[in-house]
Amino acid sequence: MPSNILHFFDNFWLAIGATIAIVMAYLSVNAIMLIWLERKLAARIQRRIGPTRGPFGLVQQIFDMVKLFSKELITPDHVNRVLYLIAPVMIFAPVMALCTLFPISATWVFHDYSVAVVLLLAISGVNILAIFFAGWGSNNKYALLGAVRAVAQNISYEIPLILSIIPIVMMANSLSLYGIADAQTGVPYVLLQPIAAIIFIISATAETNRAPFDIPEAESELVAGFHTEYSGMRFGMFFFAEYSNMIIVCGLATVLFLGGWKGPYLPGPVWFFIKVYALIILMMWFRWTFPRLRFDQLMKFAWMVLVPLALINLLITTFVLKLI
Amino acid sequence: MAFVKDILDGTKTLLTGMKVTLNNFRKPSITSKYPIEKIEMSEAFRNVIVLIEKDDIQSHDCIGCKACERVCPSFCIDVDGERPEGMRRMRATEFKVDFALCSDCGLCLDVCPTDTLGYSKIHDETGYNRSDFVYDLLDPWRDAEGPTVERLRKLEEEQAAAKKARTVKKAAAKKAAAKKAETETSKETTEETPTNKNDAENNDA
Repeated sequence: MPSNILHFFDNFWLAIGATIAIVMAYLSVNAIMLIWLERKLAARIQRRIGPTRGPFGLVQQIFDMVKLFSKELITPDHVNRVLYLIAPVMIFAPVMALCTLFPISATWVFHDYSVAVVLLLAISGVNILAIFFAGWGSNNKYALLGAVRAVAQNISYEIPLILSIIPIVMMANSLSLYGIADAQTGVPYVLLQPIAAIIFIISATAETNRAPFDIPEAESELVAGFHTEYSGMRFGMFFFAEYSNMIIVCGLATVLFLGGWKGPYLPGPVWFFIKVYALIILMMWFRWTFPRLRFDQLMKFAWMVLVPLALINLLITTFVLKLI
Repeated sequence: MAFVKDILDGTKTLLTGMKVTLNNFRKPSITSKYPIEKIEMSEAFRNVIVLIEKDDIQSHDCIGCKACERVCPSFCIDVDGERPEGMRRMRATEFKVDFALCSDCGLCLDVCPTDTLGYSKIHDETGYNRSDFVYDLLDPWRDAEGPTVERLRKLEEEQAAAKKARTVKKAAAKKAAAKKAETETSKETTEETPTNKNDAENNDA
């Protein structure tokens, strides 16, 4: 069994504080680096240079952060103040909680929950609620349209997402992320369940509201979607949450399909992060390749293609597992 | 079946798109860091005209003939020239172009008898009022004008000397040829008369 971080500290609150500090530090640095990586990748794909300040343009992100922090936090008139102010906090909080679920290596686990998959899906649902709070509370037509689209999209894509996870859970016979990763000895599930893996990565891209599924914040149609009315660091929280959510879904994909920390030669945490960031680069590659879907195409794709495929896949998996 | 075909076609197009972006990713970037690095303008680029340095005289070769001033449809060129003391060739004393009026038509380049006009590679000139765009094309050459005239005079003297020597040589050769012709036919001597005439004209000019 993996060790629990609570065992390292005598005091319960000290352990909680340490966990929050580690997760916050990691997520902040990670979001800044991912924004840099995305800008560089986009630039290379479009044959530009991208940020150039400092070595490899790294300093640019620090400037951007300073700018975001120093900007005025405008609260427009006519907003629903409670919802408007709670949304940026609420979108970031579940991400922090979810980060503690992942088994980074055989021994590095914050806490091994026996129903981590269910917990993860449940907590990530709060994300949608925060987006809707932001859109509704802003009292702005673009924000509301963006929020409505986000809710419709996220609810639609949660179904194929879950349907693609169920075969994995059945094969691993465990709902714990540690158990699922541990069950993939030798062959990762991506080879045994390629259709589930593809459905998962598509649904995950839609869940994080990233292109080509970025219609909730379609900048050419909806200004900025649900966060139109936010400024300064409140907008920064939405931005942070988007990139942190990428870490969550890619971490989940790594555990479910790529065998988590398992790999030859290198130590566990290194393998885990290599896999996570490779998946993130894949998602960025999607973003800078594919055009945005129209809303009806998006819905049709979820309900007419992904859900039936996931169901067929689930059915076949069930029969095969029963026969073996 | 159409359902499966749609999915396969869609997957194929998605993969094709990803291949395109991957290929672009591999290629070097084509950005020019403009304010940091100046761009090399193309040969066909047209901007305000400049006087081109000629190799043989190490200066511009504007003789102030006013051909460009006369041909200019925008009346933006203002040239003046004078003949330095004891020289055959004229030198420009004033060459101003009002680029605010210029239409980059290039007629002045075409008519220039010494081919000393060309387009500059300046592309980012700015100014606060229209008089900032009156360019004095002689400005870069003015400091070296004295030595240049001296050099030109020397060059002209050398050329004149060389020409004289050449004519003397030619005359000698002609005499020899005439002698030879006398011995053969009288037809060849009449043919050589035009060259003789040309030489005389050159000496006069």
